[in-house]
Amino acid sequence: MLLPSLITGLWGGLLALERRAFLQAALSRPLPAACGVGLMLGDVTAGLMVGLVFELFHLGGASLGGVNPDHETVPAVTSTALAVMLAQHAPGTAARPALWALAILVCAPTGILGRRVDTRLDARARRYFGRVVNAAAAAGDVERAVQQNLRAMWPHFVFYGLLSASAAVLGVLAAPVVQQCPPGLLRGLAWSYPVLGTVAAAMAVHASQGQGRLRVAAVAALVVALVLLGALGARAWA
Amino acid sequence: MGVTLSRLTLWRCFFRSLFLQAGFSTEGMQSLGLVYALSPALQALYQDPERRQAAFKRHLTPFNTHPYVAAAIVGGILFHEQRIASGDEGPEPVERFKALLMGPLAALGDGFFWLSLRPAVGAVSVALVPLIGAWAVAFYVVAYNLVHFTARWRLFRFGLSLGDELVPRLATWKVPAWGRRLRVVTAAVVGGTASWLAVRFGVQASGWLEPALDGASLVFGVVAVFLLTRKVNAYLLLYVSAALVIALAAFGVV
Repeated sequence: MLLPSLITGLWGGLLALERRAFLQAALSRPLPAACGVGLMLGDVTAGLMVGLVFELFHLGGASLGGVNPDHETVPAVTSTALAVMLAQHAPGTAARPALWALAILVCAPTGILGRRVDTRLDARARRYFGRVVNAAAAAGDVERAVQQNLRAMWPHFVFYGLLSASAAVLGVLAAPVVQQCPPGLLRGLAWSYPVLGTVAAAMAVHASQGQGRLRVAAVAALVVALVLLGALGARAWA
Repeated sequence: MGVTLSRLTLWRCFFRSLFLQAGFSTEGMQSLGLVYALSPALQALYQDPERRQAAFKRHLTPFNTHPYVAAAIVGGILFHEQRIASGDEGPEPVERFKALLMGPLAALGDGFFWLSLRPAVGAVSVALVPLIGAWAVAFYVVAYNLVHFTARWRLFRFGLSLGDELVPRLATWKVPAWGRRLRVVTAAVVGGTASWLAVRFGVQASGWLEPALDGASLVFGVVAVFLLTRKVNAYLLLYVSAALVIALAAFGVV
């Protein structure tokens, strides 16, 4: 339990910095973030399938004008860690999509939590810098003021690291509970995974900003549906 | 120009500009990150402590723009600071340059990078997952950062070499037009992906249930988009749809 928690915590903490403080090179977007934690915990597929849903769900999320959006990284990392740990500690209990769906449903609200924490940390930074930075600059110690830029990253690293690590711990602790779940519930959870994906894709269609986006999305959806259903029909006929 | 910055100092400033948002606060916003990025240059340009402190202080005022296009402003500030250090101009032009550009460049960067490029690359990568698996993630990171880092570096060079003249040069990039095209790509790809997910839902079943579920889940996707346009909370929609499916499974329908 210790090593997976440590890995997840470090990954979650570092990605929280990448998302906000340094680089912003899309490594903290849900798909890469979830795939990364899945790879490190030994289940890339879980990372891809969980990351895919959150990538679509948060596709239009952006920090505009200093206003924080829902945190997209932390639900992706925590859900993947939870799903992988459940699969490892309750093997054979449920189909993997059931565990993916359960993890998504449990961890999705951490996106809202992340937005609120970011806003709190911004306000804390305002109070802190009002005191330390302005005092240092007024005293002529500008170098000290400048160094506060790097120190400001610590609270993000610590909070999101701990939150991510706790998801891996939860996975271990919740495994016996999942093993006691009625089969009907687990079957329902397995069925709900593609539905969660469909809702997330609908969210992505809604959030895409293009002119006539609904018309374009509808035409593309129709073409894909016809091609897929045609292929399935042809296979059934053969 | 009398005073110029070394290549190493310019690299250090560019690298430090990647930390622009580290000390973000609701008061100064990115001002601390901006001063952090400029610090190596200001220390090299001003040996006199009083002039150096004055230079630092003029950039500790509230500053907020898009973190990528901020590279153009960092470059432009260095262009002006070299002229100030040489005595070719006073501090007013650099303050005006910053104040005039941060708003329009923020709008340009938000519109292109956050609302067009990132959703487009994200949507295409998600659509590639069923085809190439984890390589879709490699595609995501490489494709996005090819544009991201090229833009950041070129904007920094433009600011550094052109100063106030970087605006006409930026206009030749036709960024809003590229943004519009990418947003159409995003809508098409997510529409197709939604359809793929809906059909995938149906093919889990067998017999008569399969076409029924295919049709129902496609209709469900359309209903979900409609509800979202009616301001229904996305999280609520997520939980209610999962609860419905679990209830259907409990009653043995699926």
